Amino acid sequence: MRENLKFILTKAVEFILTLLVVSFFTFAAFSILPGDTASVILGPEATPEQIDSLRQELGLDKPMVEQYLNWLAGTFSGNLGQSTAFNVPVSSLIAQRLPVTLGMCALALIIVIGVSYPMAILSSRKPFHLADQVFSIIGHIAFAIPPFVLSLLLILLFSNLFGYFAVGQYYAPTDNFGGYLNSLLLPSVCIAIPKIAMIFKFLRSSIITEKASDYIKTSKAHGLSDFSILIRHVLPNTNVSAITVVSIVLSDIIGGSLIVEQVFNLPGLGRLLLMGISRRDFPLLSGMVFYLALATVIIYFVADILNNLVDPRMRLK
Amino acid sequence: MADRKAKLSTSKVNVKLTSDLGRISFVVGACMLGFVFLVFLISVFYTPYNPNMTDASNILKAPSFEHLFGTDHLGRDVLSRIMSASKYTIFVSFAGIAIALVLGMLMGLTAGYWGGIYDKAIMLLSNSIMCFPGILLALVAVAVFGSSMLNVVFALGIVFSPSFARVLRTGTIAISNREYILHAKILKVNPFRIMVVHILPNLLTALIPAVVIGLANMTLFESAMSFLGLGVQPPAASYGKMLSDAQSYVTTSPWLIVFPAFMLILYILGLYFISEGVRIRTSRGGTIE
Repeated sequence: MRENLKFILTKAVEFILTLLVVSFFTFAAFSILPGDTASVILGPEATPEQIDSLRQELGLDKPMVEQYLNWLAGTFSGNLGQSTAFNVPVSSLIAQRLPVTLGMCALALIIVIGVSYPMAILSSRKPFHLADQVFSIIGHIAFAIPPFVLSLLLILLFSNLFGYFAVGQYYAPTDNFGGYLNSLLLPSVCIAIPKIAMIFKFLRSSIITEKASDYIKTSKAHGLSDFSILIRHVLPNTNVSAITVVSIVLSDIIGGSLIVEQVFNLPGLGRLLLMGISRRDFPLLSGMVFYLALATVIIYFVADILNNLVDPRMRLK
Repeated sequence: MADRKAKLSTSKVNVKLTSDLGRISFVVGACMLGFVFLVFLISVFYTPYNPNMTDASNILKAPSFEHLFGTDHLGRDVLSRIMSASKYTIFVSFAGIAIALVLGMLMGLTAGYWGGIYDKAIMLLSNSIMCFPGILLALVAVAVFGSSMLNVVFALGIVFSPSFARVLRTGTIAISNREYILHAKILKVNPFRIMVVHILPNLLTALIPAVVIGLANMTLFESAMSFLGLGVQPPAASYGKMLSDAQSYVTTSPWLIVFPAFMLILYILGLYFISEGVRIRTSRGGTIE
C-alpha cells in the first residue's frame, strides 16, 4: 500500500510538471510570434488605434510573466477570454462543439475494442493459418490508409452504391438522438479502422507469447477449457492491458477526429480549430490546444495509475 | 513424445515462415516504394502535360487515351499532377525525418549517456511534446509561422523527434554499462565521440525500423496537412491537396480520388512492409511476433 501511494505521488508530480511544460509551450507558441501579436491578428490594414485597443483587450501591454499567469489561471477556471473572430467567450464555443467530437471518440472507441479483440483472439488461435494471414494483411493495409482518404473512399462506396448515411448532415443529440448517432457512425468507423489495425497487431503478438508460457500448459493439463483459459488467464496477462489500449486509442482518436470532421462536414472541435487558424484567432487556438493536450495528459495519468493498481507486475518495473 | 515432436516441427515451420515472411514483406515493400521513386524520377524529366497548366476546354474529363487518369476541375491532367506531387511527398518525409533524427539523437543519446536530472528534464520535455496530439502541434506551428513547405518540415520534425529520442535513450542506457564504453571513458574519449562512434552503431537495429515507420507516419501527417490546406501551397500539386480539391466531386468524378489515394497508400504501405521485413529479420528470425 505504501508503495502504491509512493507511485501515485511520483506520478502526480510528473503529471503536474508535464502540465506546466505543456501550458508553457502552448502559451509560448502564440507569444513568440515574429512581430506584434495584435497587428498579426488584425492584418496589414489596421490602424494604430485598433491595434492598441486589441493589445489592451488581450492584455498584451502587461509583462510576459503576468500574461502567462493570467492565461494559466484562466484555463483552469474555464475563462479563456473572448474569441477575436466570433466575439463570444472561447469556452462557450468549445462547449458548443464538444458533443460532436466526444460522441465520435466514444463511438470509435467502442468500435475499436469491439472489433480488435475478437480479431486478435481468432487470429492467435492458429498463428500463420488462413484467418491469421488474412487478418494480418488487412491490418497492414488498413494501417497505411490515411483517415481522410479512408473517409473519401467510404463516402464513395456508401453514398454512391448503397445510398446510406447522408453525408454532411448533422443533428444535435438533444433533438434527434438516432440521427446524431447515424451522422457520427461513418466518421467514427473511419477513425477506428487504423486504430483497429494497430491494436490488433499488439494484441495478437502478445496473446501468442502469453499462450506459449508454462502456466497455460499447466492449466490445460488441469482440464480448463480454452475459453476459460483465454478469459481468466491469457487476456488479463497480456503485455498490452485493456487500460493501455483504451488510453492509446483515446489520445490518438482526438487527433484523428480533427481531420475526419472536416471531410464529413461535422461541426466539431476540428472545424473550430481550422476556423481559428484561418482567422488567426489566437485566444481560441491557445485555449483549444491546451485543452486537447490536457485531455491527453489526464488520459495517460489515469491509465498509469489504473495499470499500477490493477497489475502488480507494473510495480516491479 | 509424438506430441512433442509435432510441437517441435511446428515451431520450426514457424521460424521458417517468419523469416520467409520477413523477406517477402521486405521485397513487396521495396517494390512498392521503388515504383513511387520511379514515378518521381520520371517526373523530373518528363510529365505528359504541364502539371499546373489549366485547360478550360477539358474540365473533369473521365480517363481516356488523351488523359490517362482524367482531368480535374481546372482541366489539369491528373496523371501529370500525380507524378509531380510525388516529389513533395518524398521530400517532406525524408527532410522531416532527418530533422527529427538529429533532434532525437541530441536528446536521446545525451539523456541516456549522462542520466540523472538532465535525463529527467529531457524526458519531461519529450513527454510533453508527445502529449500534444501530433497533428495539432504541426497545425499550430504552421498557423503561427505561416504555411510554407519548410515550416511544415520543421514542425513535423519536432513532432517526431521524441519517438526517436525514446528509442535511442533506452538503447544508450543498456549499452553505456558495457565494458568497452567504460574503457573509452577511462581513456577520456570525448563523450560525443563515444555516443556517435561507439554507442550509435549498436542501436541501428532498433533505429532503422523506427525511421522507416517514421517516414510512413510523416507522410500520413504531411498529406493530412495538405488536405486541410496548410501544407504545400497551390498551385503545386500534393496528394493531400488533390484529394481535398476532389472532395466536391466525389460522386461525379471518382477518378480524382482513386488515383492520388492509390499512390499515397502505395508509398505508405511500401514503407510499412519494409519496416515489418526489417523488424522480422533483425529479431533474428526466431520469435513468433
